[in-house]
Amino acid sequence: MRSSVLRVDPTQLLKGVLDLAVLAVLRDEDGYGYDILRRLRAAGLEDVGDASVYGTLRRLFNNGLLNSYVVPSDEGPHRKYYALNAAGRTELQRSGKVWSGFASIMDDLLRERGKA
Amino acid sequence: MNLTAQDEIAVYVEGVRLALAGLPPATRDELLEDLPEHLAEVLAEGGGSLTDRLGPPEAYAAELSASAGFAAGGQPTSRYAAVTDRAARHRARINQAVRGADVRVGPLLGYAKASEFLVLLRPAWWVLRGYLAAMAVAFMFDGNSRLGLMPRLGGDDFAAVLLLALGILGSIWLGRRGTPTRKWPRRAFRLATVYLVLFALIGFFEVDSAAQRDGYSEVGYTGWNEFTDVRDVYAYDGDGRLVSGVQLYDQDGNPIRLGEPYCEDPTSGMSVPSRTLGYPHCPEAAPYHPGDPSAVTPPPDASTPGSPAPSAPEASPSGAAPAADSSSKPPAPSSSARPPAAKEPARVG
Repeated sequence: MRSSVLRVDPTQLLKGVLDLAVLAVLRDEDGYGYDILRRLRAAGLEDVGDASVYGTLRRLFNNGLLNSYVVPSDEGPHRKYYALNAAGRTELQRSGKVWSGFASIMDDLLRERGKA
Repeated sequence: MNLTAQDEIAVYVEGVRLALAGLPPATRDELLEDLPEHLAEVLAEGGGSLTDRLGPPEAYAAELSASAGFAAGGQPTSRYAAVTDRAARHRARINQAVRGADVRVGPLLGYAKASEFLVLLRPAWWVLRGYLAAMAVAFMFDGNSRLGLMPRLGGDDFAAVLLLALGILGSIWLGRRGTPTRKWPRRAFRLATVYLVLFALIGFFEVDSAAQRDGYSEVGYTGWNEFTDVRDVYAYDGDGRLVSGVQLYDQDGNPIRLGEPYCEDPTSGMSVPSRTLGYPHCPEAAPYHPGDPSAVTPPPDASTPGSPAPSAPEASPSGAAPAADSSSKPPAPSSSARPPAAKEPARVG
């Protein structure tokens, strides 16, 4: 059995911040599931899984951070759009601050190690 | 979106559903609610099958349940889950068969899919449903009526038309609102629809068979005819004399039997067997008594001695019967009282 502490695994990191990432891509523009996935990948989160985004959207919606509405589409299936609501925006701000604080601590740590 | 894409999505969603069998069914259904649409987007982008792009359904399910905040799906945890699971599999198979039939039957109707044609018929179904609902309501609240074509409540035409109009308008209104989205209203809605369809099928055959037998239903089913009340037959000859021992036959020589050979004893009020052969059974009860009491003939039956009729005169039947008027020759009451069938029986009919 191999130890799991040796290497930083991007998918493991992602698990902790996917909620925040999804909230972030919805900050300026509503989107449907696959659209949100594309935005995340376009932003550089190449490894994000389709199921993860779908499940995350369902959970954020169930927890009252998102609103949803259905947009009929002529050629394809109907699309369920998700939008940040007030609670979602509050959560985005709060989690955003937590992440920023965490990230800067990590930056400092790495910089100090680098200097040392 | 073509059929194969839909099938591929249905199969994939079913795979995910199976892999999530450990979740409570309601949670799972809710979680997978939008998955078909979502997968359609994935598929629409191209780049291979769903399994190529997303991995096996089991892996997708594990990732999905983890990110959605549920424990990873496992094996079915209860018998109930196993049963709902099997039901879900059957449902998927049935859905697939229906979709296949949809596409195959469509061209016969001149449409790409049969469902496209059926969608056009939807308002017609609303009207029919309203009519059926009115009929069902009338049938439930008007206990004694047989099914007809109008929803009659107490046989009132105006109420029937009003009920019909209300039913149809209500049904159209419901139709425009669409199927209820919440679970229990939707179930009630479907149950009511099934009830109406069954009611329609049974009622249709009921009304049809009633229409088929309409011509003779009055006679055949109530047992009533104009001879029902006939208890005895009194024949009078041309001179107004009561003829006894009459035998009646129809055109085929079959004896005509009317009434019962019983008489009510005038003193005791009891029913006693008639002492005569042929009609009348009860000469004493004749409705008309000619002035001449000798006209009333005694029971001619010699085989029942010791039972003289109360008003039997001394004249023998053979003496009384020959009348001057021979044109209306009634069967002469002979002492044998058994006229041969060939001997000009009284004809009826």
